[in-house]
Amino acid sequence: MNLLLAEDDAILADALCEQMRASGFTVEHAPNGAVAQYLLAKQQFDVVVLDLGLPMVGGIEVLKQLRLTDASLPVLILTALDSLEDRVAGLNAGADDYLTKPFDFPELEARLRALLRRSRALKASTELGQLSMQRETRSAQVRGEMLELSPREFDLLDLLLTHQGRVITKEQINQAWSGDRNGGAATPAGTADGGAATNAVEVYIHRLRRKLEGAQVAIRTVRGLGYLLELERA
Amino acid sequence: MGPSRFSLKRQLLLWLLLPQLVLWLAGAVFSYRLAGRYANEAVDATLLQATRSLARQVKPMGNGLLIDFPRAAQDVLEADPSDKLLYTVSSPPGKFILGNRNLPSPPAAPASPPLGQAQFYDGEIDAGEARTASPVRVAALYLQFGENPKAQQTMLVQVARSSANRELLARRLLIDTMLPLSILIVLMSMIVWAGVGAGLAPIARLRGLVEGRRPNDLRPIELDAAPQELRSLAQAINDLLEAVSHNVQGQRRFISDAAHQLRTPLAGLKSQSELALAEAPPGPLTMRLARVHESATRSAHLVNQLLALARTEPESLTRQTPVRFDLGRLAREVTAELVPRALQQNADLGYDGPDCDPECASASQLEESAGDHREPGGRADRRDADGADHPVEVTGIPLLLREALVNLVDNALRYAGRGARVTVQVRGGPDRAELIVTDNGPGIPPELREQVFERFFRATHEGNGCGLGLAIVKEIVERHGGRIALSGAQPRGLRVTLDLPLATA
Repeated sequence: MNLLLAEDDAILADALCEQMRASGFTVEHAPNGAVAQYLLAKQQFDVVVLDLGLPMVGGIEVLKQLRLTDASLPVLILTALDSLEDRVAGLNAGADDYLTKPFDFPELEARLRALLRRSRALKASTELGQLSMQRETRSAQVRGEMLELSPREFDLLDLLLTHQGRVITKEQINQAWSGDRNGGAATPAGTADGGAATNAVEVYIHRLRRKLEGAQVAIRTVRGLGYLLELERA
Repeated sequence: MGPSRFSLKRQLLLWLLLPQLVLWLAGAVFSYRLAGRYANEAVDATLLQATRSLARQVKPMGNGLLIDFPRAAQDVLEADPSDKLLYTVSSPPGKFILGNRNLPSPPAAPASPPLGQAQFYDGEIDAGEARTASPVRVAALYLQFGENPKAQQTMLVQVARSSANRELLARRLLIDTMLPLSILIVLMSMIVWAGVGAGLAPIARLRGLVEGRRPNDLRPIELDAAPQELRSLAQAINDLLEAVSHNVQGQRRFISDAAHQLRTPLAGLKSQSELALAEAPPGPLTMRLARVHESATRSAHLVNQLLALARTEPESLTRQTPVRFDLGRLAREVTAELVPRALQQNADLGYDGPDCDPECASASQLEESAGDHREPGGRADRRDADGADHPVEVTGIPLLLREALVNLVDNALRYAGRGARVTVQVRGGPDRAELIVTDNGPGIPPELREQVFERFFRATHEGNGCGLGLAIVKEIVERHGGRIALSGAQPRGLRVTLDLPLATA
């Protein structure tokens, strides 16, 4: 995974590069906005970590220019500013996420991976533990064995995997299902339970839990909020 | 009058009521004198009549005088014992003929006394034996008698009457005039009083606006209906407030900038120590590195909290206008965001509120019994239809309330330790909303529950907090017109309740 780090503080940049490389990223470092723009034009990146207070060309400007040519490249803003205006300015300019300095590296890494997952969600397969899922074929495997999933079960699994480590509310699940229902007329997939127009989320969670046994993943129930998919704890 | 006792109202009342008092007094004196004059005129008229009547009764007989003074006339003259008429007929020089000898003689008997012209004067009379002198009004009339026109003699007829009645009359006249006048004055005083009060009311309002202000509230004073003079005073105060506000803002901006500037090097320090810690071989150096890292983490937390505290200051809110939003939704979002962090600590973070799904709250048990064939669709549909439609709406700045809730949950996770159970609750009352965070940690002893709101006070030295969390929360809650309360949870733990006013319809 190619990552561009645009950060002017040498000590911070040095440590981040090191940590990111240790996490498996291929890192290019830009000490100012001009270099960042040059690198962005020249190379292909999977994700960008952008400091707002860059010399030469400011972070917001770099982001705006980038969005003219590439609308989908995930950008995480890293900044010492955190007022509402700064946040809004960053997100308006087209940032996908916002992290305030100082931060814990695991937090940064988790957010980067979430961004990557989201950006790849539409094209690639997703994995967690012994579980893998392909969106194109709407199929999932545990330890390489095909899972039999109804359309709703698949949507639920898709949602959980895309947002792994984060809480999914029933609202979100119902939304995903209603989207499926709209497209459902065209797909003949709704066989196993397509006729039963049930919204009973917990029933599906229960079923999914059973089917995911042995996948080393766990669907946690978060009291009063929803569900969360994570790696099974040892 | 000392400066502390100087009052504009008092001054105005003094200068408005004093002329009225003078007017009243002048009126009293004037009408008393007028009454006296009219009373005298009335008395004088009767005295003159009595004098002439008496004079008519004196008839010259040759060289002598014959006084035909019938008993009946005497009775009439002396009818009223309290208002006695006294009379004297004498022929000068000092030849007493008839009546009371003690009547005061006319002032300065002129050389050629005016004949037939009555003189009136006040005098005193010794009422005989032991009595003190009593004031009398006397009429004196010189008459000539004698049959021979060439040898006519002069006689003096005096009739005196006690002044007591005249005084009484004057007093009654005075009272009759002064009573309505006094009532008028009292009424006018009341009107003046009310008028001064009404006129000075804007001053009191201005004072209220300045007095009731929090020291950090530097918004301009808005005086809607005020006279020109006060308006300019308010303007002057506003100018000062603006200057102070500008000053304060400058200082705050500096502090904020300084904190922001600290962030990048701190992030560097943290990252480097983190990295070093991961790379270093186990040994004493690792321990030192761990200390460095912990210290860096604490400093980072402190800087963040300081900035959070600065954000709660009203000056930073000038561009953040309060909006109406669903507190329950905010609480759910924030709690959901914090769940991964709670899971890292093996803590159980949950939500309980009006939109909380009962099925979800006790989902574990339900799922245990839920079979593949179960079709509880009806229930779920109902929840979909109306489950999420009980918003607890408050008016405020969502970003700040989010900050408050993050701090409370962070505190609970920080101090309740691993395996903690933390619950966020939102409850809507008839006019208040409650945001409650309950944990099952060690709690805070009752005697410390006031102090924990002080900046940099820490109830425990466990964990690496900086003692600003609850101070921040308190600032935010009070800025929203709410209250914060700490209580114990059963069987152990701490319950923090934020009590906020509901948004008005």
